[in-house]
Amino acid sequence: MEMLNNLLLGFSVALSPFNILMCLVGVLLGTLIGVLPGVGPVATIAMLLPITFNLNPIGALIMLAGIYYGAQYGGSTTAILVNLPGESSSVVTCIDGYQMARRGRAGPALATAALVSFFAGCVATLIVAMFAPPLAEVALKFGPAEYFSLMVLGLVAAVVLAHGSLIKAIAMVVLGLLLGLIGTDVNSGVLRFAFGISELADGIGFVVVAMGMFGIAEIVTNLEHTGQREVFTKKVTHLWPTKEDFRRLIPAALRGTFLGAALGILPGGGALLASFGAYTLEKKVSKYAHEFGQGAIEGVAAPESANNAGAQTSFIPLLTLGIPSNAVMALMIGAMMIQGIAPGPQVMNERPQLFWGMIASMWVGNLMLVVLNLPLIGMWIKLLTVPYRLLYPSILLFMGIGVFSLSNNPFDVLIMAFFGLLGYICVKLECEPAPMILGFILGPLMEENLRRAMLLSRGDPLVFFQKPISASFLVVAIILLAIIAAPNIRKKRQEVFVEET
Amino acid sequence: MRINSEKDFWAGLMFMGFGLAFMLIAIGPPAFLVELGGRAGWKIEYGYQMGTAVRMGPAYFPTLLGGLLAVLGLIVFLRSFVSKLPKAATEVRMSFNVVDLAIGIAIYAVLAWASKRVLGNADWGMMGASVVLAVLAFAFRPKAKPLVLVIASCMVFAYLLKPLGLVLSSILLVFVAALGGHEYRTKEVAILAVALAVFSVLVFVKALTLPFPIWPEFLQ
Repeated sequence: MEMLNNLLLGFSVALSPFNILMCLVGVLLGTLIGVLPGVGPVATIAMLLPITFNLNPIGALIMLAGIYYGAQYGGSTTAILVNLPGESSSVVTCIDGYQMARRGRAGPALATAALVSFFAGCVATLIVAMFAPPLAEVALKFGPAEYFSLMVLGLVAAVVLAHGSLIKAIAMVVLGLLLGLIGTDVNSGVLRFAFGISELADGIGFVVVAMGMFGIAEIVTNLEHTGQREVFTKKVTHLWPTKEDFRRLIPAALRGTFLGAALGILPGGGALLASFGAYTLEKKVSKYAHEFGQGAIEGVAAPESANNAGAQTSFIPLLTLGIPSNAVMALMIGAMMIQGIAPGPQVMNERPQLFWGMIASMWVGNLMLVVLNLPLIGMWIKLLTVPYRLLYPSILLFMGIGVFSLSNNPFDVLIMAFFGLLGYICVKLECEPAPMILGFILGPLMEENLRRAMLLSRGDPLVFFQKPISASFLVVAIILLAIIAAPNIRKKRQEVFVEET
Repeated sequence: MRINSEKDFWAGLMFMGFGLAFMLIAIGPPAFLVELGGRAGWKIEYGYQMGTAVRMGPAYFPTLLGGLLAVLGLIVFLRSFVSKLPKAATEVRMSFNVVDLAIGIAIYAVLAWASKRVLGNADWGMMGASVVLAVLAFAFRPKAKPLVLVIASCMVFAYLLKPLGLVLSSILLVFVAALGGHEYRTKEVAILAVALAVFSVLVFVKALTLPFPIWPEFLQ
């Protein structure tokens, strides 16, 4: 009953004209960048962050959230029609979606992606509404030791997701943690690693790092590839799937949704892990396993429902623990802090309008997406024909404006350029930037909680294993590491990531 | 010893470099380095307080992490000699080499230092260095053009935004960035540049009221 009241409160907030508009702007932008390959939600949200200074907190967060789950819808369109992932989470949709398009079934594939995404979005909204409050209750009892161990778990989970070498991913996390420490030390007031540069006193802005590592590095690597992309320009007709399609896609969508929702909650999880997991599971359990890779509709339904569900449930750790599970959520934390909201379990009690308004807006946004996107597919296809040579200068300009407006200081752009170079080198050396970004955000938080926990335990490091919740987090982290280090799993993991590239 | 994996070799070196640098700065560099730096007019800090496990000083956590990173880097580095992956997967396909990187950093350092001496701040030196690098890339490293020009376009934009205003600096950014691509068509780029300049003035300055000058300083 209480949940119903809360949701009603949420809808009363989300359905105000201004917030509806914000939601619409968010999901449209999200779809747009989802459709365009080479432009991701991280860079887009980072670009838009300065603009949200002038908005009210609820509107700003509703819009930014819309961009993230909107991108999951848009990504599938590109995957199906061009065989290119518009979004990293739609990588697996390419496999069967594109095959469907080649057999003249692009319409049903697109409709399937939109419909299952909507279904998954609805279920995931309910899951967030159900699980966030009790989790926030638990989180209120967390001490510094629990928080520290939780962050360790989150970072380990991020490593599991990284491509390629495990050690390199861990090293990237540690590098991120270190870079996050640059600036004034909160406890002692000492300026660390600043080389006497006054602009570094407040540390390096997360937005600047994200734009460099993801934005600039991505543009440069895209420019180095000379590959041509071919758009499936044949007119898309017969959107609606057949009865037989529905019979096959419904169970796949159900499995995808629940697996995706579960994987989204994990720290370090989110849409990407969800879509991979769902596709692999579907391949295992489906009766039509032999059709996979040749245009099986389950191969579209499962990952598409999973990535949308995962995108939404990844808000749970953010809203309840104040801990970001991926780079997008880290930006959301940035957005909340800009608005003067400290993310954490207290948000739900102190600002119920914000909390429930955001959850309700996710459902509203999903409805908008499915209603708008099916008729707008023609327009999105047109967009795909815009050549990249016109696209990237525009992206660069918006990034430049976004970064500059953070502090009105060209120094931030210099830092962005530095991280662009670092990001480029990392890509070339096969070191994933995503774990580094997560480490970067968690660096100061981790140090703070480590210090407090050690102070409380009088310097006894065993405290992390004596508290039951903290100990269980660490045990899970160790098990995760042991699992990926195990030889046969390692082989399998390599195969999965090879398939992707 | 043969390097079997170039990627691991360089990645390991990079991680070790970062880890040791952070550790060195946190603990404090050896005295002779501080003295050397002092003579060159660069005041090097003596490191931060370590503290104890109960009361951690500002050096504690960074030293711990720096050490960990250096060890991880060493493992990756050593692994590069025993790697059994096929050559295609381990070859580094970078558009520049280590010497180029060092030259680039040196150009930035020298010009920034010179402009700080002469003009009082490093801004013009930073921008100048980007332009110099862009020219060098055109002449000697055409493959590195995307990287160098994309970065140069951002730098030019950032350092010229205040003196030149949003319109001119965004047009400059678009042109420099477009030069870094494969196909450069002057007419098309010009149209794009003007359209984007108009768009950003309308959206960012007029609608979102960001405090950017629109026209050059000397016109106002």
